[in-house]
Amino acid sequence: MSCTKCGSENVIIHRRYSGQHLCKKCFIETIQKKVLKDIKKYELIKKGDKVLVALSGGKDSTTVLDILSILAERNIIELEAITIDEGIKDYREKGIEYASETCKKLGIPQHIFSFKEHFKITIDEIMASKPPRKACTYCGVLRRWILNKEAKKLGADKIATGHNLDDEVQAIVMNYLEGNIENLTRIGPATYSQKFVTKIKPLREIPEKEVTAYVMAKGLKVHLEECPYRKTSFRKKIGTILTGLSKDHPTILYSTLRGHEKIRNALKKELKGESILRECIRCGQPAARDLCKTCTLLKEIGRLKDEIHSHNR
Amino acid sequence: MKFTLIIDDEKKTMKIREKLTIKDVLKDFKIPLEAVVVKKNGEIVVEEEQVNDGDIIEVIRVIYGG
Ligand SMILES: [Zn+2]
Ligand SMILES: [Zn+2]
Repeated sequence: MSCTKCGSENVIIHRRYSGQHLCKKCFIETIQKKVLKDIKKYELIKKGDKVLVALSGGKDSTTVLDILSILAERNIIELEAITIDEGIKDYREKGIEYASETCKKLGIPQHIFSFKEHFKITIDEIMASKPPRKACTYCGVLRRWILNKEAKKLGADKIATGHNLDDEVQAIVMNYLEGNIENLTRIGPATYSQKFVTKIKPLREIPEKEVTAYVMAKGLKVHLEECPYRKTSFRKKIGTILTGLSKDHPTILYSTLRGHEKIRNALKKELKGESILRECIRCGQPAARDLCKTCTLLKEIGRLKDEIHSHNR
Repeated sequence: MKFTLIIDDEKKTMKIREKLTIKDVLKDFKIPLEAVVVKKNGEIVVEEEQVNDGDIIEVIRVIYGG
């Protein structure tokens, strides 16, 4: 067995969806080329953009930073990283440590913000209070709030996240199975909204396995540990099913992604004009109702009672 | 013939009679190929790779999030 591209005998990956066998050098090259090609194809980045990578220190966001640093080196973009400390004991510290190391190595400025400084509560403290929702809900919503707020302050044009092919297909299938059809219209390579900083997903077409292989092949230091709160999530169940399906149907993730692209536009037309964004009356961030999602969640767990006197409580 | 298997932070010594491939080893543990990246003696290898006497096989699970 030899590399499909260069003939080398040291093959490190067999892509079952395309039949390719690749050596380390050609594998790294194809990943970088594919990501940069997708950035062009979907117009994710313009020359001169200030791009902020949401960097957790995990494999996905570290890969995004590594590949975007190619564009920063060529002076095509300005690149910085933003790391959020949600306050997950015995887990997040390692991620932050690796994230900072990578930034130093690549010479990229890093900004670190925490749930504690912004909301005066950590995710561990929220979960210890036995709240009505799952950890991933608080984590995702509160993290997005900080990202958007700080990205605006930093004058960023784009926020790049580490979502890979598996993540995207899991989201498509989850939303479909749960009947969240409106959410389906929002899944895509970029999310634009007047009041949010545009979010882009450069790794959207790279399988999770290949992101892992990329960090290993490149010797990037990443935190390869699963979040303790994720273990029981619905997303994880869907992920396990999809991975099982891929065994006999190697192209299933790509066909699901392409299928979603086809129905997305039809859904958008069908649902157009659904929600108009306003500003949260408490924090000023974008909101669909009086309060944004973050303030709604904080209020629900009794963290806003000093500021908001609600008759419902 | 013996080889060392590292999986989920656990190190096991495996004794085998006949030659196996990485694929066979994963099958025994019921792990789908798509869910892991495998290193043999420190280098990433494909699932068709043979396991030889004295090899160190490291199975790294592809983990969600990051
Ligand atoms: Zn090659
Ligand atoms: Zn708010």
